[in-house]
Amino acid sequence: MNDSLSLPHLIMNASGVVQVVMLILVIASILSWVVIFQRTFVMRRARKAHRAFEDRFWSGVDLNELYRETPAEQETQGAEHVFRAGFREFNRLLAKTRSPQAILEGVQRSMRVAWSREEDRLSLHLVFLATVASASPYIGLFGTVWGIMGSFQSLSMAQQATLATVAPWIAEALIATAMGLFAAIPAVIFYNRLSAESGRLLGKYEDFAEEFHSILHRNLQGRTDPGAD
Amino acid sequence: MARHDRRVGYGLPLVLAVALHLAILVASVIRFPERETEPPSTNIVQATLVSTETTTDQAQRAEEAQARAAARQAEEEAAARAEEQDARQEEAKAVEEAARQAEEAERQRQEEAQAREEARRAAEEEAARRAEQAEQQAREREDQAERRRQAEAEAERKRQAEAEAERKRQAEAEAERKRQAEAEAERKRQAEAEAERKRQAEAEAERKRQDEAEAERKRQAEAEAERKRQAEEQARRAAEAANQGLDRAIEGEADNVANARQATEAANSFINLVRRAVEQAWVIPPNVPDGASAEVSVQLGPSGELFAATIGQSSGNSAFDRSAVQAVEAAAPFAELRQLPASAQRDYRQFNLRFRPGDIR
Repeated sequence: MNDSLSLPHLIMNASGVVQVVMLILVIASILSWVVIFQRTFVMRRARKAHRAFEDRFWSGVDLNELYRETPAEQETQGAEHVFRAGFREFNRLLAKTRSPQAILEGVQRSMRVAWSREEDRLSLHLVFLATVASASPYIGLFGTVWGIMGSFQSLSMAQQATLATVAPWIAEALIATAMGLFAAIPAVIFYNRLSAESGRLLGKYEDFAEEFHSILHRNLQGRTDPGAD
Repeated sequence: MARHDRRVGYGLPLVLAVALHLAILVASVIRFPERETEPPSTNIVQATLVSTETTTDQAQRAEEAQARAAARQAEEEAAARAEEQDARQEEAKAVEEAARQAEEAERQRQEEAQAREEARRAAEEEAARRAEQAEQQAREREDQAERRRQAEAEAERKRQAEAEAERKRQAEAEAERKRQAEAEAERKRQAEAEAERKRQAEAEAERKRQDEAEAERKRQAEAEAERKRQAEEQARRAAEAANQGLDRAIEGEADNVANARQATEAANSFINLVRRAVEQAWVIPPNVPDGASAEVSVQLGPSGELFAATIGQSSGNSAFDRSAVQAVEAAAPFAELRQLPASAQRDYRQFNLRFRPGDIR
């Protein structure tokens, strides 16, 4: 009785469909945990990088020097990426047009593009977490329903329906639901946590973009005013 | 800016995730069986251990003391007290449980308590009756033994008296013989000396011969008596041996009675346990008529596993019958059977259980 109700024994004796469901849920759980760990590391590093960049940015360093210090376009990320895209666009447009309005619009557009890339990068795989969180209870429930169907079919064949004949089936079927919940609960918790974190980071990037924009605007005002006068 | 933390690889997260799952799997596999073994053993088996151990201990102590009759009484009282204590404990337990589940199943608890009360009273009456029977038997046996012992003592006294008489007789005969020998010598001397004396001597010799013949006869009689005495002795010894055998038999029987009583006590508790386990496992189907009652005959294996549970007397309601059989099957491994004395085990491998919805919830 004890032995036949142990966890590995139940899983090994489950019917094929239930085993497939369990396998799917185990894989989903492992993948969701991979995503959770990977995203956690990414967020932590992005936060650190943002803090370091902001310190450097507001330390009074020359913007051209800062631009030269940053590496090539594809390797930057976060606020650095936004800064680099905006400043490059600013320099290019400054040479071609005199209208500050056109320059600022171009800068804003390129910064918005960089920001949206950052958003895409930060929320990468979070959709998978959301999918696991919402779907795996249903998958587990499917396995449970299937297992209970099997148990009732076996009951119809048995002469006497005792608890002992039904119990292993139901226990095995309920394991599927348990595994579904086991996969879903961390996925839900970490999806909420990671999406909130990415939202906060993106807000910071946006704030930075606005501040940078205002700095460039001030610069342009200072540069164009004497020329216009 | 630090370029090296630009991209986060998937290798470390994968390792961490797999390690986490393995750890959870191992933890669940290790912990599950341990946790499952505890709950079934706490309810049923502990109760058995308490009741049977106390009674058997007392019985053994009484045996060692060898004062069987007195000990038996004391034991009975103690057993009765133990039973009362048991009952009191049970009642206390029941009260506690009831307090906990009061608002949940008040009526059920009352019925249960009533049933338990009845069961206890029945068990007490049974025990009392059995104890009385055992006492009576023991008293009769003691009386018999006493009578036998008195008869033996009388026989012994008689035998001693006979032996004394025999010894006296032997001594007398010896003295007689010596005296005769002396007389003969005298006579010879006289015959040699005087012829007249010869005649007298002859007459005397004649007389002597007669005496001798008489003595011979006496001796034969004595020998006969001796033989008789020996035979008697042997008979007595045989009787004694038989008596001892009887005594031993009586003692053995007393032992048996004590053992049987012990066994019945243990068996009573076993039956109670079985009944309780079956009651707990019984799910009464709905719409059962009030007077329905079914009898299930149960056959157990030597270690308490269920061989067969069949309807002995149907209630007429097949759902009810099936629920009764299922209850026995669900409660099935009655491992407490192994704690019974070996002699009782055989008796209780087959018993009947009567199911009545009024009895239990």
